[in-house]
Amino acid sequence: MELTDADLVARVLVDDDQHAFGELVRRHQSSVRGLLRQLTRTDVALADDLAQQAFLRAYKNIRSFRGEARFSTWLYRIAYNCFREDARRRKELVGIDEEQLQTQHDPQAADPALRHDLMRALNLLPLNERSAVLLCCQNGLSHDEAARVLGIPLGTVKTNVLRGREKLKRMLADWGPN
Amino acid sequence: MNQEDWLDRELRDATPYIDDEGFTVRVLQQLPPPRRRHDLLRAVILLGTAFLASVLTYVVSDGGRFISVTLERLAALPALWVFALALASGLVVAAAGATAAISRSRAPLT
Repeated sequence: MELTDADLVARVLVDDDQHAFGELVRRHQSSVRGLLRQLTRTDVALADDLAQQAFLRAYKNIRSFRGEARFSTWLYRIAYNCFREDARRRKELVGIDEEQLQTQHDPQAADPALRHDLMRALNLLPLNERSAVLLCCQNGLSHDEAARVLGIPLGTVKTNVLRGREKLKRMLADWGPN
Repeated sequence: MNQEDWLDRELRDATPYIDDEGFTVRVLQQLPPPRRRHDLLRAVILLGTAFLASVLTYVVSDGGRFISVTLERLAALPALWVFALALASGLVVAAAGATAAISRSRAPLT
């Protein structure tokens, strides 16, 4: 019988069971590292450093996990906070504005691989829209869960997802269905 | 197929599973050492309390006279009664042990 995330969290809380925490890391490392790789614009080394930091922070603060949200949602929030703090330190939180986005996108010069173009297009989105699109469209979180992760109102998440998708659609128009 | 479906599918497929490749081990190596359980302190408290309770009982029971009285009464009991008493005590201890063992047993992690 496979234990649920809640069972594993309970073991960490009661027995300080690091083996159980290791199982939680194994289960969620891919999604957390994937999200951070996207947020850091595919800087793999930085993303993995932040992911490690996020899991360590999760372990130290596991008592603050009250089980109201999914464990993965709670973990995403910690990972996102780690990313934001690091970005603030690096002063990279400034998003790319619409004008810059228009000038950077050149469909003729785009890589022929769709995935490459998609990643490139995602990286061109401002951080607030990129985060919302990644969480909702890529990681399957509901708007409500994404709002918790990002610490912003639900309406803002919906707007950011909508705007982000619109921009992606425009940037990837050549790949879309005719 | 509309563009939303296409975009969502591509976004989901754009993130393949990332192999662990030692990531979990590296995280576990950085965890602080597990909290030390206060087993020794607990044992000292329990034994100390038991010792104090024994001394108190000895003092207030006139040098433990009740023990010799009880032993005399036990000795006067029929052999069958003594056997039944020993058996019942053994069963109670075994049941308590089994309960403790079951409560501490764990399901496998995976």
